[in-house]
Amino acid sequence: MNSFVKAVGVGFISLGLWSSTALAQDSWWKTAAQPYQGATIRGISESTPASKYVEQVLGPKFTEETGIKVEFEATSWDQMYDKAIKDMEANTGIYDFVYIEQDIVYTYLARNFLVDITKSLADNAKIASPDFKPENFTTFLNYFKDPKSGNVMGVPMEAFIKPYLYRKDLFDDPAIQKAYKDSTGADLKPATTHDEYTQIAKFFTEYGADKELWGTTVQASSSHPAAFYEFFESVAPTFGVYNWGIDGKTFAATEANGGQMNSAAAKKALNYWVGLLKYAPPESTSSTWDEVAGTFAAGRAAQGLVYGENAAWIATDESKSTVVGKVGVALPPVEAGVMEAAESGKGYIGYYDGGAFGIPHSSKNKDASLLFLQYIGQASVQTDWALAGSRIVMNSTYHDPKIVDQDKKMNGYYTLMREDGKLFAGAPPFPFHAQVLQVVAPFIYKAIVGEIKPDDALDQAATAAEAELVKLGYRK
Amino acid sequence: MRQSNIGWLFLTPATLILFVVGFVPFIYILYVGFFDWNTNAVDPTLRWAGLQNYRSLVFDTTFLNSLARTLVFAFFVVVSELLLGYVLARALMADRLWGRQFFRTIHTLPIVVAPIAVGATWRLLCVPGFGIVPYYLKLWFGIDYNISTNAYHAFVTAIIMDLWHWTPFVTLSLMAGLTALPKEPLEQAQIDGGNKLQIFWYVIVPMLKPVLLTTVFIRLMDALRSVDEIWMLTKGGPAESTRFIGLHIWINVFPKTDYGYGAAMSLLTLYVTIVLSWLLFVAMTGRKGGAQ
Repeated sequence: MNSFVKAVGVGFISLGLWSSTALAQDSWWKTAAQPYQGATIRGISESTPASKYVEQVLGPKFTEETGIKVEFEATSWDQMYDKAIKDMEANTGIYDFVYIEQDIVYTYLARNFLVDITKSLADNAKIASPDFKPENFTTFLNYFKDPKSGNVMGVPMEAFIKPYLYRKDLFDDPAIQKAYKDSTGADLKPATTHDEYTQIAKFFTEYGADKELWGTTVQASSSHPAAFYEFFESVAPTFGVYNWGIDGKTFAATEANGGQMNSAAAKKALNYWVGLLKYAPPESTSSTWDEVAGTFAAGRAAQGLVYGENAAWIATDESKSTVVGKVGVALPPVEAGVMEAAESGKGYIGYYDGGAFGIPHSSKNKDASLLFLQYIGQASVQTDWALAGSRIVMNSTYHDPKIVDQDKKMNGYYTLMREDGKLFAGAPPFPFHAQVLQVVAPFIYKAIVGEIKPDDALDQAATAAEAELVKLGYRK
Repeated sequence: MRQSNIGWLFLTPATLILFVVGFVPFIYILYVGFFDWNTNAVDPTLRWAGLQNYRSLVFDTTFLNSLARTLVFAFFVVVSELLLGYVLARALMADRLWGRQFFRTIHTLPIVVAPIAVGATWRLLCVPGFGIVPYYLKLWFGIDYNISTNAYHAFVTAIIMDLWHWTPFVTLSLMAGLTALPKEPLEQAQIDGGNKLQIFWYVIVPMLKPVLLTTVFIRLMDALRSVDEIWMLTKGGPAESTRFIGLHIWINVFPKTDYGYGAAMSLLTLYVTIVLSWLLFVAMTGRKGGAQ
């Protein structure tokens, strides 16, 4: 009886402590947000699974807790950039927080578009949440720090690698394994080299001729930068061509001047990639990252490089995906020596993609936006966000039981991201990202449609890139 | 004759608005066109370039190709819409046509659809692998239709999409013009023994000229600055095969932030448009300018 009373007592004390803590947390957000009650903050982002979670869940929860209304615009990738950049350039102040993709952050920093979050919180301690701790984030946060001051300029909200997804059900099927062995003399397993990958792609294209199944996805839109990104940030690195083949010090792109854009390795990579189109579904030349995910989810490809932001829904959401329970995850195939270079930190095998929310210098509600960014930067909101958007930006999220459980359903995508994420790297720190992309991409498009040969495409692209860098004043 | 200046007072607000939204930006673009200005350059300030931007344009094959492509596109869509629009206008005016009102309504619907939605819808119809257009073209005619690899398919699809969207506008304009034509000259021509072609060419066309001229001008301007529909349909591809001048300028001005060069391109394109319009005006009216 005595122990029962004690237990009840301890229970009540615990409950009291828990509720007072919860109330204290609530009251912190409410107190901090008091001066901004009734304010509306507007944000813009690419319509990705992670962004949709912010729009549908985190924004309304923040409004409920603080009284600050969040208006969120989730739009297409190009529209997102177009609107955000115009707003910041013209200083109109339409948006209070914007999506900063890892690619563009150096351009935004060079143009002083962003509010320094570290400094702003230090200057205004009243709105600095005790739950927002930059040290809780993964090293992905480093991409959103000002290289000069080390201050945080954006709160990571999306982070993923581009893994090699394959159809586990097909690869594990004994009949298919036998057919593959008979056809190629090799065992059917996820490819680790480009030759193996091509061989598998060819086999499944022939095998699937009457089944609406092809050997591979290719993100090869013949008029959208997605093709540029797939080639330079997912494929070229696996051939040992880094930073788009541009030397970060001399800004040379041609091999003659010390660049790599038209090197033998780059040409081999482009020939390989363009060559995969004959084993890819017909929509591939119209595919951006979204369509590639759609193609794989529709069961139209046996393997492919798919943006990891889509891995969760492809592997677990039966309402959208026909391959639930059939998805295998592996590292992309590489050329000899590339994996070793990545492991030693001298190279990488693909792009570590993602983005953060930052506050434009033109925002008219900077403090209210700072509160919102801290709100979405709390450890407590990360797990459900990760479940919805297969994105992880905090170390603690990896160990959450819900994530561990989802990881099993995703064939270890999160484990791969945690353990091998170091093999991937963010975009090169180029402030001229969009300028060079627009100059080089048309040559990649021409190679895709066969207007010019891949070797010529890279020769011309490297020359054009260098000319653009001279014009911009980076290269003397 | 007494003149009152009060009319000028009424005109002032409109004149001011026109000045602010039309003339000032135009002067600013003219000004920027003489500078080298890229906010992402190492030196992001305006640097005097004189006529360099215009000199570069003359040798810029991508720009010239875009311009030529746009002119070809504009020629095909304007001529086709005019012919098709006239045929449809006559058909929809025929008393014998059963359900005429219903067809008129159906035919007019595309005009109210936003260009961005038109482009998106046509893209869905035409996307290889999923779209019903490639599916049925393959099934019925064995054609491997692919707007993301075949430049010809993409260009023709862009023309057909424009015809679908804007022919109803031409039809409506011509119907209004035809309805307003006086009956007497037509009856007189019939009495004089003119055949249908002669009546069309020597009586209807001259009388319809004001309406034709207005319609052609409107459609020509629209076709020359076509951006949104094409962006949604092909994004200017495959490669650069449907990168019309509007898209090309947009790419240079926004993602590339090459403001000086973009301004020069815009002005040159405007100049070409004005010259073309003037030539068309002269060709259709026989006059070299000015109102009648």
